[in-house]
Amino acid sequence: MKTPYQILEVTAGADDSEIRQAYLQKVKNNPPDADQEKFREIQAANESIKDYRSRIRYELFHEQTLDFDALLDQAFGTDQPRQIDHDQFIDLLRAGVEAIELESITIEPEKT
Amino acid sequence: MNELIIGIDLGTTNSEVAVVEQGQVRVLDDGGRKILPSFVGIDDNGEILVGERARNQYLVYPERTIKSIKRLMGEDTHVDLAGQAYTPQEISAIILKRLKTIAETSLGQMVSKAVITVPAYFSDAQRQATRDAGAIAGLEVVRMINEPTAAALAYHHDQSAAQRMLVYDLGGGTFDVSVVNVEGGVVEVLSSHGDNHLGGDDFDQRIIDYLLDHLRETYGVDASKDSKAMARIVRAAENAKFQLSDQPYARIEEEYLLEHDGSPVHLSVELSRMVYEEMIEDCIDATFDALHIALKGAKMTAADIDEIILVGGSIRTPCIRERLLDEFGFEPHGELDPELCVAMGAAIQAAMIGGQQVDTVLVDVTPYTYGTSAIGMLNGEYYPFTYVPIIHKNSVLPIRKSDAFATSFDGQEVVDVTIYQGEDPDALNNVKSGEFRIEGLQDVEAGNIITLTLELDLDGILHVSAQEKETGLEKSITIKNALSRFESAALDTAKQRITSLFGQMETGPDVVEPHEEEEETSTAPEIEAAKKLIAKAESLFDQVSAEDREDMIDLIETLSNCIKANDIEGLAEPSEQLADIIYYLES
Ligand SMILES: Nc1ncnc2c1ncn2[C@@H]1O[C@H](COP(=O)(O)OP(=O)(O)OP(=O)(O)O)[C@@H](O)[C@H]1O
Repeated sequence: MKTPYQILEVTAGADDSEIRQAYLQKVKNNPPDADQEKFREIQAANESIKDYRSRIRYELFHEQTLDFDALLDQAFGTDQPRQIDHDQFIDLLRAGVEAIELESITIEPEKT
Repeated sequence: MNELIIGIDLGTTNSEVAVVEQGQVRVLDDGGRKILPSFVGIDDNGEILVGERARNQYLVYPERTIKSIKRLMGEDTHVDLAGQAYTPQEISAIILKRLKTIAETSLGQMVSKAVITVPAYFSDAQRQATRDAGAIAGLEVVRMINEPTAAALAYHHDQSAAQRMLVYDLGGGTFDVSVVNVEGGVVEVLSSHGDNHLGGDDFDQRIIDYLLDHLRETYGVDASKDSKAMARIVRAAENAKFQLSDQPYARIEEEYLLEHDGSPVHLSVELSRMVYEEMIEDCIDATFDALHIALKGAKMTAADIDEIILVGGSIRTPCIRERLLDEFGFEPHGELDPELCVAMGAAIQAAMIGGQQVDTVLVDVTPYTYGTSAIGMLNGEYYPFTYVPIIHKNSVLPIRKSDAFATSFDGQEVVDVTIYQGEDPDALNNVKSGEFRIEGLQDVEAGNIITLTLELDLDGILHVSAQEKETGLEKSITIKNALSRFESAALDTAKQRITSLFGQMETGPDVVEPHEEEEETSTAPEIEAAKKLIAKAESLFDQVSAEDREDMIDLIETLSNCIKANDIEGLAEPSEQLADIIYYLES
């Protein structure tokens, strides 16, 4: 599975404007009419690393977008909130990521 | 290979069709007219009328004429046209068919594909209805694009500098506002907001209410029950609105509007721009509220915007420009005709899809959040209809998102899923987009996991599918809104019905009417006299025989055409004849 950095062809240390230019270039070469899957992939990649906040979030939770099943198994396998280490926690606070991101993912049954 | 695809702006009040030829955008005309009024009517012989002629007939036969059908698109309803019930999709299809014919006549070749614009804030149901209208009209709708986005494309066409634009689109029936970033050949919509029922029609309605109040107070008469008087009041209100865009005052004069207690009622009143602007202030406020929501959605403030693009006929209302100037500190753009630029953008998008070399890529977003409901917490309590948003507003199209849910009791074989559109944490306060049922689930304990996937395609139409995680059992449907949606059989029937209606209809621009001026500026006494005569004649319609009425209508039409063409000489003969008939009727 390619990382967003690979999809947009930018280095791991790329800043906002490098990512933005790479994104525009990718979109230009892959219009939504031509190949929707490819276009969606570019959009998702851009969403996950376009600014500092999203990059932090990506570092912390990148399984969420990449491996939905693993996330589900985790959510159902344990009642514990997700564990993060001290450094991640500090990063998270600094990034001002909403508290909701820290909660365990609860999945409520649909009413019938 | 280049394929011919036309671009259509299917408007509430006016519709247009355009194409790109050799890299140039051209709005196609019908005998000199680029704007087709979105009116549909049936004439005396049961023939269908579309455009200017239907608009003219509205004054005389409102019951046989439909206007502003776009306002009903996506609703499960019918309109009555000369005793027959039609769906909004069918009426829109009649307009589309006419536009198709205009394009075919003008281009000298058959047309079968179109890009149609819709208000950015059109819901899934309204988009679906528009697509159905295209199918009924025999047009394959290769793409629907948002009106403000189309306008941005039209403006961007010849320039390449990076810019942040705000598109303010106030038409006849809808308001849209979009924040668009243009950079490196990519036209990227960052956010959209709007109101599907806010436009020039509402301004007209305010004046109409004012006139009805005036008649009630002055004559103690309720004109709203009289359909002919109403048609004239509607027309007078719109004319007054136009005047007030240019002048501080407008005079509204309708003689012999109706009879009350045996004596004629004349409408004569003056309306000032100030009073008018007070009447519509809440509408304008609403557009600015939406504008702020759009800016917020793009994480911007007014200071971040480089230019403003004005779209839609209603932006000619002076106070709108003033307020935009106040807010942004610079004058908005208006080089392109605000009524034509949407069709032009549609043509550009059509050319891009059709394979003509156009150097722009369009990236658009959904203005709505879509989700479902589940048992959850709301205000600290368990609540069965907690909203679970899945696709968030201002997400780039196309988009696909999934969420997982679990069955709530052992042996549960069926799950009903409702899809909502909106942002309220209580799902029931949002708009229900559709419902569907997942059946045949495994007979297992509670907690059977169902993955729900929502997908918005490039047209902004929602597709829903669900999968049982264990078995991979798939259920896929496009949102069904029961009756407002056409099943394919019903589509075919509608298509035949509309086609046969057109069987008797004149095709092509055979009725070349003289160019209509926006406003008759001429006030030659002959014209004044003719207008009075027409008003008088119309007030007598109720009391005359069908034959006399026929003659009168013909004469009125001739007179109207002369007035439009400012043909004073031509007025003489029909005026005399009409005066004779009136004299004879009254004596
Ligand atoms: N000079 C004017 N002053 C005020 N309003 C005007 C003027 N000229 C046109 N309008 C109004 O503009 C509206 C029509 O604009 P336009 O043709 O752009 O809308 P539309 O495409 O039919 O509507 P929509 O985009 O809402 O479907 C009508 O309500 C008309 O009365």
